[in-house]
Amino acid sequence: MTRVREWIDRLRGTLRPRRSDGELEEELRLHFQLAAEEAQRRGESPSGAARTAAIEAGGVAQVMEALRDQRGFPWCRDLGRDLHYACRGLVRNPGLAVVAVASLALGIGANTAIFSLVNSLLLRALPVREPGQLVLVGSGTDSRIPYWSSEIWEQLQHRPQLFDGTVAWATARFDLSARGETQFVDGVWASDSYFDVLGVQAILGRTFSSADDQPGDTPRTPVAVVSYAFWQRYFDGAPSAIGRTVTLDRVGFTVIGVTPPDFFGTDVGQTFDVAVPLGFKPLTDGSQNGSRRPILVTIMARLRPGQTRDVATAALRGVQPQVRDATLPKGWPKQFLDRYLKDAFALVPAVTGNSTLRQQYQRPLLTIMVVGALVLLIACANVANLLLARATARRHEFSVRRAVGASRWRLVRQLLIESAVLAGLGTAVGLLIASWGSHVLVRQLAKQIADAGRNATTNRVFLDLSLDWRVLAFTTGVTAATALLFGLAPALRASLVAPVDALRQHTRGSAGDARAGLASGLVVAQVAFSLMLVVAAGLFARTLSSLTARPLGFDQTGVLLVDVDLGRAHLDPSERAALYQRARDAVSMLPGVANAAVAALPPIASRVIGQPIQSVSGGPSLPPTGRMSALNVVTPGWFDTLGTRLVAGRDFTDRDRLGTPPLVIVNETFVRVFTNGANPVGQTISIFLPGPPPPPMEIIGVAADAVYASSLRDTIEPTIYLPLAQCGEVWSRFLASMNLSVRPSGGSPAPLTRSVAAAILAVNPELSLTFRSLSSQIDASLTQERVLAQVAGFFGALALVLASLGLYGVTSYAVNRRRVEFGVRMALGATPGSVVGLVLARACTLVLLGLVIGATASVWASKFVALLLYGLEPRDPSTVVGAAALLAAVAGMAAWLPAMRASRIDPAVTLRSE
Amino acid sequence: MSTGGGPKADILQGTLDLMVLQILATLGPLHGYALAARLELVSKGVLKLNMGTLYPALMRLEQRGLLRGDWGVTDNNRKARFYGLTKAGRRELVAERAEWDRMVSILHALLHEG
Repeated sequence: MTRVREWIDRLRGTLRPRRSDGELEEELRLHFQLAAEEAQRRGESPSGAARTAAIEAGGVAQVMEALRDQRGFPWCRDLGRDLHYACRGLVRNPGLAVVAVASLALGIGANTAIFSLVNSLLLRALPVREPGQLVLVGSGTDSRIPYWSSEIWEQLQHRPQLFDGTVAWATARFDLSARGETQFVDGVWASDSYFDVLGVQAILGRTFSSADDQPGDTPRTPVAVVSYAFWQRYFDGAPSAIGRTVTLDRVGFTVIGVTPPDFFGTDVGQTFDVAVPLGFKPLTDGSQNGSRRPILVTIMARLRPGQTRDVATAALRGVQPQVRDATLPKGWPKQFLDRYLKDAFALVPAVTGNSTLRQQYQRPLLTIMVVGALVLLIACANVANLLLARATARRHEFSVRRAVGASRWRLVRQLLIESAVLAGLGTAVGLLIASWGSHVLVRQLAKQIADAGRNATTNRVFLDLSLDWRVLAFTTGVTAATALLFGLAPALRASLVAPVDALRQHTRGSAGDARAGLASGLVVAQVAFSLMLVVAAGLFARTLSSLTARPLGFDQTGVLLVDVDLGRAHLDPSERAALYQRARDAVSMLPGVANAAVAALPPIASRVIGQPIQSVSGGPSLPPTGRMSALNVVTPGWFDTLGTRLVAGRDFTDRDRLGTPPLVIVNETFVRVFTNGANPVGQTISIFLPGPPPPPMEIIGVAADAVYASSLRDTIEPTIYLPLAQCGEVWSRFLASMNLSVRPSGGSPAPLTRSVAAAILAVNPELSLTFRSLSSQIDASLTQERVLAQVAGFFGALALVLASLGLYGVTSYAVNRRRVEFGVRMALGATPGSVVGLVLARACTLVLLGLVIGATASVWASKFVALLLYGLEPRDPSTVVGAAALLAAVAGMAAWLPAMRASRIDPAVTLRSE
Repeated sequence: MSTGGGPKADILQGTLDLMVLQILATLGPLHGYALAARLELVSKGVLKLNMGTLYPALMRLEQRGLLRGDWGVTDNNRKARFYGLTKAGRRELVAERAEWDRMVSILHALLHEG
């Protein structure tokens, strides 16, 4: 107990001493005087008495030191002194400080930025009650979380014994506009249980109650819960927002509540502006009778306290037959139903939420993280080199301090504190760089989705990048590790200085050579790491360029894409096809339009419609469940509009409609896969569809292969194209929105936007439209590759600069040290050229060694990025050789400057100064 | 506490606190020099405390709340800091003395047993 009091008092004494030095000294002086008086009383002379007192009582200065130690914490006081000294040292040497802090800031900043992305995408728990208890309902046959029919969720919901609650949701984009061009917000269709089961409370108003979403009935008033950000943006954070109305897809919804600022939904990588109960889906679909059709949802459940995932999985599988049986899709052939019934449920931990972005970006992010770590290592090597040079310059100071009694540990500690100050400053600046850099990265990713993902399932990219304990711990760890990495070697080296060195004037002993050896080792490491980074940059740049140069099978220039959404236009499914045809006709009539056509999916649409093929006449027989093919629905002229060649047969015409024999066009890959390459024109295709088997369709043409998938990397799939005019009721789910492609007769498509919009709205003013160009869509689909290439390129360039700085420093240092030697050599007749050769030979050895190590490491490491590459082998020799040549050239420059300086040494001056 | 030096200081280390507390308990508040003089007298000149041992010990005891130092005036009118026992100090003295007696009896038994 008293010990604790002592510590508290000492802590206080460290911060603000209760007893000042003067007071302590006064007390001691009195003691001393009394001792001296006593001695005088014993008969000594005044001077003798003072000496006796000094011997008996001790010196005031030493006692003061002991008292100060007792008053506070001695190490704390020393720390303060060392810090002060370190800062003074930095201010005295601003060049070194700036270079060191800048390279550390870049390294630490890059790492923190990337880590904060990794953290928010991969590590951070959902900001909800007990996220560890949440599980996602997955499939036993697929590691990705599938979208389930909302009927399955209803079945689970009706079995409350399974879980402590279940939620279902589907992301959506809602159109805020009343008519015309769309104005999208991110939305989520959520089950009424959503907020309650997650444990998210409204900060204003209320969240959903079960009365808001009654299955089967049309709910009384459409209600919506809005996010904090939307509340601020749209309602200026006014409390009166509760009860106000927002228009979503042309339906008015009453705002009933606002969610907390940190809640972004359950899809990591996205956020929501408005949440609407699932039960209102029929309303915005424009269905009059309000009947509830199943929609695709993600299902999450909360485990009961103490219930393990295994127990819950077993319980879920126990009811699986009934659940599956109750939700059998209607009209599908038996083969598919069997497969559906057998597919087992699985539960996946959902503490970090659900994310499709995670799967896509996990590998690129971890790659960037390694790249960032390499940059930091190079920066550390650079700073270590600078500190080594400075430590050499301070040898005299160190030996003096050793001579007057500083312990070796004391010197090491002093130098490590200087390193920590540098690392701390680097971190401070680095955090600024990090917060800027991570937002730039997210913006880059967001741009992709905003441009490319204009369909109903993809929303804006959103990542919560606020600092949390993980990021802070990471940055602190990185800072400490870097300080040790670059500070330890120079500190240990300095502590080896012998006290007697202070007495010598010219010390040119072995320590100097050892320092040069260590520095050379650092340069070799820098060159090796830099080569790895330059190789990575080269690989990613070439991947990007080979993707950009990939023949697409269509001509992207000038093509304008318009998403046409029926929205609230109440149209019978049978009238939909005709409406799109009329819109297309109206647009192709416009001046400046060469071609216009409608398709279900534009190229690179980031989604694909799969269609099982039952059989193709004249082709090999297929398995009982058929073989998958991609499917698109197009109008006549679509191939012309996109510039895709027909290699055989003919295009659809306006005469092909419902009632005439069903027709189909296939692509070249389809021919290879389904008819073994034989000309298929005239053959027929049978496909699986719900309901009565459709009549076989006759193949009338073969289109050239076109890249037409979610990304440019995907292989071309067999594809069938159906004519829109022949798509009856069974296809109506594709017909809620279509895409109109417009090829202008010349020049930019941008000026056409207004007239195209007017023409389409003249056909039906209820339609909602979204414009973009095909090339921007393709551009955006390359975001991942572009970001990787840019980041790797930036870091590669940075590494080159740092490595050449390092080489320059080491070579300059060597030249300075060998000044006299070079002077003597030149006095004895060596030419400037031979001196340059001497210097360069040494630098070349280091660079060559680094290149060999770096090339080996690159070849080894490249296999980890193989999946991110396209169109080249990971160990692509030309990239490695090219990178090595570039690095050698830059390194040559860096060594050339000091070499030239060496050749200009004036022998007379040097010899005289010696 | 290297300022004290020598084996004698090491012996004192464990018992100095007890001796200081006991002297102050007997004589009431004293300044540092008087305390040292008293100890020298009692020990018949064997224990000569130098300032480097005495004052850090006083500060430590004060930090632990066992002593309280106040500025006062000596008999011949000099300003000095007087140390007196606190309540906690008295309690500590009782406990320490009991502990000391126990140690002594154990040692006594050990040394004179056989």
